[in-house]
Amino acid sequence: MNTIIDFFRNSVKNFPDKIAVIFEESEISYKQLDNLVNSLSNSLTHLEKASIVSIYLENSTDFVVSYLAILDAGMIAHLIPTNLRKEKIQKQLEISQSKLVITSKSMINKINSISYNCEKIIFVESNYNETHPNEAIKIHNENAYLIFTSGTTAEPKGVIITQSNTIFTTKNIVNVLKYTESDVNVLPLPLSHSFGLGCLHASLFVGSTLVLIKNATNTMNILKEIKQYNATTFAAIPLTLNKILKEHDDYSNYFRNLRLIITNSTSIPIKTVEKYRDILKNGFLATYYGLTEASRSTFMIFDKLGRETSVGKPYNGVMIKIQNESLNELETGQIFIKGDNVIKNYWNNLEADKKIIDYWLQTGDLGHKDSEGYLYLDGRIDYLINVAGEKIIPDDIETVVKVLTDVEDVVAIGIKNEMYGEIVKLFVKKSVNSKITKFEILSQCIKNLESHKVPREIEFVDDFPRNEFGKIQRFKLK
Amino acid sequence: MNDIEIKKIFLQVFPDLEESEFNWKKKQNEYENWDSFSHLNLITLIEETFDISISDDDVIKLKSAEMLLNFIEKNK
Repeated sequence: MNTIIDFFRNSVKNFPDKIAVIFEESEISYKQLDNLVNSLSNSLTHLEKASIVSIYLENSTDFVVSYLAILDAGMIAHLIPTNLRKEKIQKQLEISQSKLVITSKSMINKINSISYNCEKIIFVESNYNETHPNEAIKIHNENAYLIFTSGTTAEPKGVIITQSNTIFTTKNIVNVLKYTESDVNVLPLPLSHSFGLGCLHASLFVGSTLVLIKNATNTMNILKEIKQYNATTFAAIPLTLNKILKEHDDYSNYFRNLRLIITNSTSIPIKTVEKYRDILKNGFLATYYGLTEASRSTFMIFDKLGRETSVGKPYNGVMIKIQNESLNELETGQIFIKGDNVIKNYWNNLEADKKIIDYWLQTGDLGHKDSEGYLYLDGRIDYLINVAGEKIIPDDIETVVKVLTDVEDVVAIGIKNEMYGEIVKLFVKKSVNSKITKFEILSQCIKNLESHKVPREIEFVDDFPRNEFGKIQRFKLK
Repeated sequence: MNDIEIKKIFLQVFPDLEESEFNWKKKQNEYENWDSFSHLNLITLIEETFDISISDDDVIKLKSAEMLLNFIEKNK
């Protein structure tokens, strides 16, 4: 099996009548899913091979069909997060040179308001072409999908993931977390992110059932779906896991059948790890560390006491090294990753490609190992802020606030928060005689930024700590 | 007075929300865009407007405009 479509079709062959995806009470079997994928894929073959086709959809069966159809047609799927502001979407479309956007009736207006010229279609089943064109043109492209991440500058970086990266990572997920065809996987994570998409791949790979949920806000709905479908696995960010503990006293009633809860490397409070270890009598909580550029680089299974703050160890030939002046991996240094899960290059971005040296990806994350090689995260080498897994460049926020004439200078940093991992704090130096209020600054942010970038705290300062050259020392504000 | 301010904050955090659609009893999960991040934005604006501080435990319990209004009336 060399491609994502190969492993999907393998499951179609082995389990044609099995339910592949459940979404809002509607179920679709592997065979039915394959028919829809084939039809939509046939409708895309008018595009030049290896074209970029963008998906701007919320979690839905339509998303899964569109994604697989794009790959089946030999195109590259560009996944656009639905919470992006339209200027950012436009930037991504321009950089990727997308030829077509697949979206929904409720979201087409936003796409149409963007001044980027390409084909735009609303996902409806009448898009499908039931005829069968020449199958020979459906050669799968080695580049599978494109996701943009925050760089350290305002320019987003396109991360192009190959079929071989995906096959390697999917096998890794399946082997380490022991996914089988009898699993029922509840997924309230966006499929446009690496975490959610990896869970979809694992589910399709083994031929299990995926219960897809549009968003993670309604924790009662998540618990109900876990119970209703006798789910065996559940994937969620730490924020959702913490919310479940705080919002529902009877959560353990819903988890009886679960064998696995998988979360990701945003910091998890030790208490949360301990609670879930207690609740999951017949299963375990696991986490992983990875970037879009190097998906699932380590896994940590919390099946025994100790190492509650570790993100685990690499598996199957993935290598992690810590680089610091002391040459001692037990001390904090920058994390580098090498392995078949690591991208070879970014999307048309030679500057970003410099981060990959001899196949080692320079992550920008700081960490250390313990004597048995378990990895622990210690923050960032730059000032990227991580709010519940959403990475934010401070410059994005600062630029929006600096536009206000009453603001002389501004610095955004991330500060620790139990629920969200980090939240944004803004330090503002007002202009002389300025009467600007925190409310006005917040309003400016809400109007111009995605909701996860809006500061939770604002502090007015007379000046910032600076070095001898006048450069602001952000670390002193932490 | 408090109710007018709260309504204003809702319309600011959810710019697609028509004033006629605003409903005091409508809960977080009935809003299309009221996710965990927008929730935090609502809370931050409310804290700033009413000069109060809302604990993390209370933050997650306040799931409708009515609940936010009651909280403010009790704690202000």
